[in-house]
Amino acid sequence: MTEPVLEVRNLTKVYRQRRGEDVVAVDDIGFIIKKNEVVGLLGPNGAGKTTTIKCICTLIRPTSGSIRINGTDAQRNTRIALRHVAAVLEGNRNIYWRLSVRENLEFFAGLQGIRSGRVRSYIDELIEMFQLKEKERTDARNLSRGMQQKLAVACALVKKTEVLLLDEPTLGLDVETSHELRFALKEMARRGERTIILSSHDMSVVQDICERVIIVNNGKIVTDDQVANLLRLFQASAYRFEIEGRLSKQQERQLEERFEMLKISETDHHTEIEAQLEDGNRIYEVMDILKAGDSRIRSIARKEPNLEEIFLNIVKGGKN
Amino acid sequence: MRYLILFKALLKQEFILMRRYLFNTIVSLIGIYIIFLLIFFGAHALGGGAPEFGATLDAIVVGFLVWTFALFAYSDLAHGMVREAQEGTLEQLYMSPVGFTWVSLFRIVSRFWVMLTFNIMLLVLMMATTGRWLHLDVVSLLPLIVLTLAGVHGMAFATGGLALVFKRVESFIGILQFAVVGLIAAPVGRFPLLRYLPLAEGNRLIRRVMAEGLSIFELPATDLLFLLANSVLWFGLGFLAFKLLVNVARDRGLLGHY
Repeated sequence: MTEPVLEVRNLTKVYRQRRGEDVVAVDDIGFIIKKNEVVGLLGPNGAGKTTTIKCICTLIRPTSGSIRINGTDAQRNTRIALRHVAAVLEGNRNIYWRLSVRENLEFFAGLQGIRSGRVRSYIDELIEMFQLKEKERTDARNLSRGMQQKLAVACALVKKTEVLLLDEPTLGLDVETSHELRFALKEMARRGERTIILSSHDMSVVQDICERVIIVNNGKIVTDDQVANLLRLFQASAYRFEIEGRLSKQQERQLEERFEMLKISETDHHTEIEAQLEDGNRIYEVMDILKAGDSRIRSIARKEPNLEEIFLNIVKGGKN
Repeated sequence: MRYLILFKALLKQEFILMRRYLFNTIVSLIGIYIIFLLIFFGAHALGGGAPEFGATLDAIVVGFLVWTFALFAYSDLAHGMVREAQEGTLEQLYMSPVGFTWVSLFRIVSRFWVMLTFNIMLLVLMMATTGRWLHLDVVSLLPLIVLTLAGVHGMAFATGGLALVFKRVESFIGILQFAVVGLIAAPVGRFPLLRYLPLAEGNRLIRRVMAEGLSIFELPATDLLFLLANSVLWFGLGFLAFKLLVNVARDRGLLGHY
């Protein structure tokens, strides 16, 4: 069995308020992450993702609970624990804007206590990997936002830590740069060099890169499973009905009353109904409603769900 | 070994920034020199004919030198911390496995030599302008300057800590910069209690070395011990306040938020 690299147990963070009620940002969560796992941390705004990540890298002091990194208690032996963790916390921040690309990489290696001579070839590799070769002598402030973000990730990687925490690494990037960064992260994940925990609003990034996903909502973990398992689970219960013409108001009302996760989209000539039916027999209930309104069913098919739909289903629909 | 590597990385960073912003440094030097000229000619117009003006002039040069040292030490550290928090690099410094305490201390030491180069150039300009060539005993002056600045660094650390928790402290930093002038000009001879404040005693001893030509070994041991204790106390208090405020910032999730 692969050894755990990160163990979070009963982690709670409460922000005390002078006025009003205290805010529970993280509420008694726990998970174990094994070596070289690539895990996505998903959740709506204010779910507790960033607080969890900042607690892991000791920037926020938890109210209770424990965090062990490579077997070291991060609260008691912070400096030893920090030898194993690097983080990119706010996109294109976290780098020195007045240093060049190469100077930044050398500085962050030094900050970790690694001699620049020992990582010179790795720095070259990172510059190549993140397509920064042409700009390696350019000050970070003169780079595009996308390049700055890539540099921030490279600066975290140059520390050669076992655990890499990435908080919204693709936030604010254009499609092309987001894909470049995603490609580099995928390559790293494929090589199995690091344990990566990635929080993102971009579900396609998580689906593309991560093998496991932890979904948090209101400070609690609502789902912790392999991405493939979730897709399989939701595929088994996701259906798409194609109807000729439009639904009557009565049919729409009946469907919405009886099925929670329902999406109806109409065009001029046909209507599509997407529904999550956990009990396969409920397919007949949908058909009954359609038949009663004289709707002609063109097709019924299993739908291929994506992570975004699964996420919305779990967070809004309460499936766990 | 990690400590040495970290120190070298910080030193190299300072060197790169100084080289890259040489024009900025020269403009600052000229600006401060102009302020000195205004003070010098102002003092000359007021009491230039008096027989004791020579001693006053020595005091002005030494006081101005200590002021620039203190101003750089204070504003560099306090503003530097605010800037790093704004730019998001403070979090990265905090996450160094060598420890944030060492990162902060090494940063002060690595910036000291930049400050020293700047102030030596300024001193030469001031002495050439006034025609008063003061006694420059490096062995005596260096430890006195380091001890004198330790108290200022304590103040800067405390201010930096306040900036992490309360965020908008720029005006407070500005006020304290003026307070530095008051500490240097404090009449320690007339009011001995003022010796307990940071900077005051150090400035008095530096003046004795530079203006009276004394060596550090000729200064009273009790004065030196007092300066040492005073510096350790103010630095320790400031640093302790900083560490407490960093923990408050960690509790409230404010570290790096600006």
